[in-house]
Amino acid sequence: MKKKSKDKGFLFFIILIIILIIIGGLNVLILILSFVLSISIIILILNFIDSIKKFLNINLDANKQKTVKIVEKESVNINPEIYSEPIILRSTSQNKLEKRQKYLHIALNNNLTEAKNIISEIPDSHKILIEVGTPLIKTYGIKAIEEIKSYAPNNYIIADNKCVDLAPREVEMFALAGANASTCMGIAPVETINSFIKECQKYNIDSIIDMMNVPNPLLVLKKLKAAPNIVMLHRGVDETHFSKEKQIPYYQIKQIKGSYNVFIAVAGGDTIQEIRRAVFNDADIVVVWKSFYKSTKNISKVANLFLDEIK
Amino acid sequence: MLSKKSKYLQIAFNKSLEEVSQMINLLPPSPKIILEAGTPFIKQYGKEGIGFLKEIWSQKMGNKAYVVADLKTMDRGEREVKIAASAGANAATCLGLAPIETINEFILNCKKLNIDSMIDMLGVEFPFEILQKLKTLPDVVILHRGVDEYEHNKQKQVPYNQIHRIKGTYNNVLISTAGAESAREVLSGFFNDSNIVIVWRSFYENPQNTKEIAEEFLKLIK
Repeated sequence: MKKKSKDKGFLFFIILIIILIIIGGLNVLILILSFVLSISIIILILNFIDSIKKFLNINLDANKQKTVKIVEKESVNINPEIYSEPIILRSTSQNKLEKRQKYLHIALNNNLTEAKNIISEIPDSHKILIEVGTPLIKTYGIKAIEEIKSYAPNNYIIADNKCVDLAPREVEMFALAGANASTCMGIAPVETINSFIKECQKYNIDSIIDMMNVPNPLLVLKKLKAAPNIVMLHRGVDETHFSKEKQIPYYQIKQIKGSYNVFIAVAGGDTIQEIRRAVFNDADIVVVWKSFYKSTKNISKVANLFLDEIK
Repeated sequence: MLSKKSKYLQIAFNKSLEEVSQMINLLPPSPKIILEAGTPFIKQYGKEGIGFLKEIWSQKMGNKAYVVADLKTMDRGEREVKIAASAGANAATCLGLAPIETINEFILNCKKLNIDSMIDMLGVEFPFEILQKLKTLPDVVILHRGVDEYEHNKQKQVPYNQIHRIKGTYNNVLISTAGAESAREVLSGFFNDSNIVIVWRSFYENPQNTKEIAEEFLKLIK
């Protein structure tokens, strides 16, 4: 009996060891299996990343090819002899101004042929805004806007209509003609300025209040129901010509920016130093016109100088 | 050139070119009626618009046709006067709110090109102060209540009280009043001693109405 029980104990012991071995073996097997599985997963992931990289590379190449194509198209378009359709001189698209960006605002005032020449001279940059000056508007009417828009269809076009009355009529006229911004005089009756700003919002164009001959622009802004998009500090051509001592009030730039969320444009500077001073004093937009750049040929030089300056 | 002793009715055109000729046909031909190419009209059609108005009115009036270009000059006095004069206008307007340098330049160039200079006192509180600062006097001073001003603030009055004040000191200047909206206001303009009364609104809405005002006016000044 004793031997039997001893045998039983021994048998039990052996079975236990066998079970343990089996469990250990299973463990090892599981470990090996999981190891193999994880490695295969890693390989799969690496493969996936590789294929994504390849895909992206192909896309980048496609983009490069596209841009090259656009450039080619433009150079073809500039040649007027081959194509009779309207000559498109620009390609950058620009509808609204961006904060913290400096802009050069080039005013065209003489005639449409000269305007066309100037547009073909200036560098293609969205940092350049094109203004259809008051004399052009009064000479050609809204045709001036349409014509200039056709030379530079993707540029930001400003109609310098200098509105002083009948604001709804004027804003409608210039917005429909394709202008991206319109001007109203700060000296106009407050009712006119208010309705001007409201109409500009309605037509989704920028409102510019021209502060020519306004001693304190802040007083005008305070009276308004809503702030305009752009405030222009302006010394007139006649003023500049006949009273050389008149200064552009640069100190007002910070004054206005401190209280209102508006862009500031400075007009009336006639030296490169004055442009530098305007930019240095935190103006967002610097306005120049022919008496500044003198000859049509000079404009590209001035524009490039400015673009270098604001980099 | 306008005469100091006469009264004039100035009719402002702001409508489209097509409607202009139709409206002019309704008007009685008289040298006492002068036409104005309104600011929106000029900004829409440019020089051509002024020329067109002059041509149509000339067909009726011969060389007595008198057309005012309502430029509302604010800067570049010389350039703008040239635009108006070359389009055939007999008078041009400059804002009293413009820099003094611009107004002086504007008047000087009007004299050079032999057209009448009109200074529009829209938004000017004391027209008298502006006139004092000028080198030479303009031919006409326009006392003005803006359309937008009146639309939003019905209490604004056409500043008739300024007429005698200006005439008392500067008796060579003609006074024109703008902003009359009804036949009654036109009459009160003349009654208050203005030389020229400018109408537009009634014209906008009903050409027949303006024809009546024109006829009434001609009867009145006989």
